[in-house]
Amino acid sequence: MEFDGLFLAEIVLAGLGAGGLYALTGLAFVMIYKATRVVNLAIGEMLMIGAYLCFGLATAMNLPMWLAILVAVIGSGMAGALLERVAIRPMLGESPISVFMVTVGLASVLVGVVELIWTSEPRRLPEFMPSAPVMIGEAFVPPKVFYGFLVAAVLIAVALAVFRFWRGGVALRATASDQQAAYSMGINVPKVFSLSWTVAAMIAAIAGVIVGAVGGISSTMGVFGLSVLVVVIVGGLDSVLGALVAGLLIGVVESLAGGFLGGEYKLLATFMILIAVLLVRPYGLFGTHEIERL
Amino acid sequence: MRIGTARSSYRHDESLFDSRTQHAWLAVLAVALLGFPFFADEYWLYLACLVAINIASTTGLNILTGYTGLVSLGQAAFMGIGAYTVAALEQKLGTPVLLNLLAGGFVAMLGGLVVGLPSLRVKGLYLAIATIAASVVLHFVFANWHSVTGGHSGITVAPAEILGLSFDTSFRLYWLFVPITVLMVLGAANLFRTRIGRAFIAIRDRDISAEVLGIPLLRYKLLSFGLSSFYAGVAGGMWAYFFRVVTPESFPLIMSIFFLAAVIVGGMGTILGAILGAVFMTMVPEALKLIVGWLPLSADATLILSPVRTIVFGALIVGFLVFEPLGLQEIWRRIRRFFHLWPFRA
Amino acid sequence: MRRTVLKRLLATAVLAATAGLPAAQAADKEIVIGGSIPMSGVFAFAGIGIHAGIQDYVKMVNDAGGIEGHKLRYVPEDSAYKVDQSVAAFKKITSQNKVNFYYGDSTAFSKTINPELDRAGSMIMSGASFATELNDPKKYPYQFVAGPDYTQQFGILLRYIAKEKPGAKVAFVYSDTEFGRDPIETSRGVAKQLGLNVAIEIMTPPGAVDVSTEIAKLRRARPDFTIFHGYILGPIPEFIGQARQLGLDTQFMGTFWTMDNTTVMQMGDVAEGFMGVMPYNYYYDTATPAPMLDKIRAMRPEYQNVPYIQGFLSAMLYAESARRTIAAGKEMTAANFKAALNSIENFDTGGLIGVPITIRGNTIPVGRIYRADTKAKRMVPASDWIVLE
Repeated sequence: MEFDGLFLAEIVLAGLGAGGLYALTGLAFVMIYKATRVVNLAIGEMLMIGAYLCFGLATAMNLPMWLAILVAVIGSGMAGALLERVAIRPMLGESPISVFMVTVGLASVLVGVVELIWTSEPRRLPEFMPSAPVMIGEAFVPPKVFYGFLVAAVLIAVALAVFRFWRGGVALRATASDQQAAYSMGINVPKVFSLSWTVAAMIAAIAGVIVGAVGGISSTMGVFGLSVLVVVIVGGLDSVLGALVAGLLIGVVESLAGGFLGGEYKLLATFMILIAVLLVRPYGLFGTHEIERL
Repeated sequence: MRIGTARSSYRHDESLFDSRTQHAWLAVLAVALLGFPFFADEYWLYLACLVAINIASTTGLNILTGYTGLVSLGQAAFMGIGAYTVAALEQKLGTPVLLNLLAGGFVAMLGGLVVGLPSLRVKGLYLAIATIAASVVLHFVFANWHSVTGGHSGITVAPAEILGLSFDTSFRLYWLFVPITVLMVLGAANLFRTRIGRAFIAIRDRDISAEVLGIPLLRYKLLSFGLSSFYAGVAGGMWAYFFRVVTPESFPLIMSIFFLAAVIVGGMGTILGAILGAVFMTMVPEALKLIVGWLPLSADATLILSPVRTIVFGALIVGFLVFEPLGLQEIWRRIRRFFHLWPFRA
Repeated sequence: MRRTVLKRLLATAVLAATAGLPAAQAADKEIVIGGSIPMSGVFAFAGIGIHAGIQDYVKMVNDAGGIEGHKLRYVPEDSAYKVDQSVAAFKKITSQNKVNFYYGDSTAFSKTINPELDRAGSMIMSGASFATELNDPKKYPYQFVAGPDYTQQFGILLRYIAKEKPGAKVAFVYSDTEFGRDPIETSRGVAKQLGLNVAIEIMTPPGAVDVSTEIAKLRRARPDFTIFHGYILGPIPEFIGQARQLGLDTQFMGTFWTMDNTTVMQMGDVAEGFMGVMPYNYYYDTATPAPMLDKIRAMRPEYQNVPYIQGFLSAMLYAESARRTIAAGKEMTAANFKAALNSIENFDTGGLIGVPITIRGNTIPVGRIYRADTKAKRMVPASDWIVLE
């Protein structure tokens, strides 16, 4: 096909937009991992819960969208804290594989709950984003994707700052590296756990609302979590910056694959990157290299 | 009440079934398995065949995950390889059924070896994620390699035919599947009496120490992958003869999760655990259907059946991991112990 | 110890025997319709409609005295749109009842169960699927489709396009599933035959969230008409919304599963002017006299979706095959039912389909184009009934 610069630009921009959402969800994932060392495969489902809460509040209770989103985010945070207390806290000290499987089970439970209340029919969120087309130069960017990217960028910047400068962020990092030492230093470790899951669930809910606004909501939304898994592995399980960079990278690569090769190559391209990273640099671009101690 | 067995020879010590009671129970089981198809209706025979396939696959996954400690979320994809191999051979070459099943197992084994290659560098959780990646890649191959796999429409499989007898009912398939499954389970049980089995267990417990003891890690890890995917391949082949349509959507990631759940719920690292887990996970949806039917809910209570099933599935995984990490076989053992000691309880 | 072993052996045998006892059947004159209905799962909106449609028709016929002295009995099970559950339901229902007609939930199920149908020879089957492959009386002798298959649906759309704007540029947008890919290849040829230019074929990954790349491709191609296939709702509203924002002036069209009133109206404002092919009248159609629709409206005051009509019509066709078979004094076998079905010529469906139908092969290749009117929240007819040869 002839080289169409504009087409390429549009594809790359679309990819960056999608990548922003990946980065945002990756941020939620990394937050959980950084604090509790749990690989949370249910992150896609937590995203879905946020989207459905917003949907339910906006349609069934007829709240205005801004209020629905706010309440949904807070509700998701509480749900996250509940999940942590009920399913993750008892698994403290168990092997990471067991905890991983618990999150797999949780994902299934969340999907079932959503299907029970709202059935598995795909729905649409009420429109709330400005719908004027966004043009960067001559290239068209779908407005939802653009505003989604802005929100994601802002949140990630905030998160980066928080982890670096705020005491709570430092406490989070301390708990992650050595729980016992954190206890000895007077850090309330269980509270850190709850906090990290709460905040992560809230971020996932925001991502869920945006993803839902772009593509509709359904009980299979959680499959988004698989692509996010790739993002965090590539970026490094415990690196916020890694989630950002890898998210954008994977978003652009997926977009290019879809645009030039065909829709069926999107997921394949993503997972080929995963395989390559696992073989060459398993800890990701920015992750901390774990030394196995006997 | 059997409290212990006095073992008088090494041979006796090594044997799989070491007492007269166990032999008697085995005889009962054999009679039950032989007699079951004559009393059961079409539906129960269907379930029995499904359970047999699931036991075979779960036993395979148990070898990899329960005994060798390598978590794999790719079992369904390997079953897919086996199923497509059998379907393609049946459709294009018309080779005999047993040969097809073996071929399915071997091709799946090759796939397992390839996926297992990175297992030295990649450990634990990362390996699990790598198997997810393998699943996705295999799904892509199934869906797009039109000449061999028929692309999205898949392959329809003619009923298995051995010596002119067509295995087109669940009754007949029962007689094909159950012996194969019994053989495979016995094979797995036997494996863990041998050096190879012990090496697997050593790798699970502490692979660095195992290497220090002289077990070549890569070779044994690859062997474990190969064996478990062989089991998956044969199970997939049986699946193909059972459902008679193989499509790329037949072996989704959720099926791998199902098998991993069966291993966990049954009890990782025990043969009985794999069997119990497979039976349990297959029968839970049926039991749920019955329960929902009995409850005095409104007429269309069947509407909530599917989400309830999903919730129960997830809750089982979480529940067993949190409360009974040793699985169903531990519950079974406790019941047995209770009955063994019962007359002597104070 | 031997005694306990023997006792337990006896217990096991008794247990096995009781587990296998089938339920007692009332073997008097009845016609049994079994169904693996997707009452939950992704296709639940269709399953619930189909279930209600068959139920209502069965009730209507039984209240009027049945078919030639036989009562209709409907035995459904939920399949959750999963093949293994559909097959399990089939086995359960057929083992406990003597089934004459069966309703399947998906293409995969129809393909899987076909050898069973051939072997049993006692029932014919239709279902929710409009797959082109099923329209093969040699390969699927005991199955039929209560409407046009997907290739025929495309054919109806393309004929309409060719009449409206000869030589127009057409885009196919479809999902990367068996459902989506079904009619694409043949329709390419049909389009060419009608003198239309297939400007681009865009395939989206199933469950895609973001379709910006695909929209960019569509923008490049600038087609006059864009046909969606392989979707229910998403990502169509995204496509239409963004295309409109880009000023892309193309007429969007869809096939059966996108064309239910509820689905289209869920698209919001972008649905205005959305067109597509529908083989049935909608629940609220009053333009032509339709006694069946009146009866349905009397039984069900609220809107019933098009899968309801599909279920209702299927039950009607089952009943008609049975009636013709019994009236001719023939045995109730699959071959006789199918022959009776194929003898249906210029049959009046009572307004479910606007013209009398003839079932020559395995499908009913009839349909008409509708356009969405978002103000009235209705689908309005935009063409006459088109009957393919």
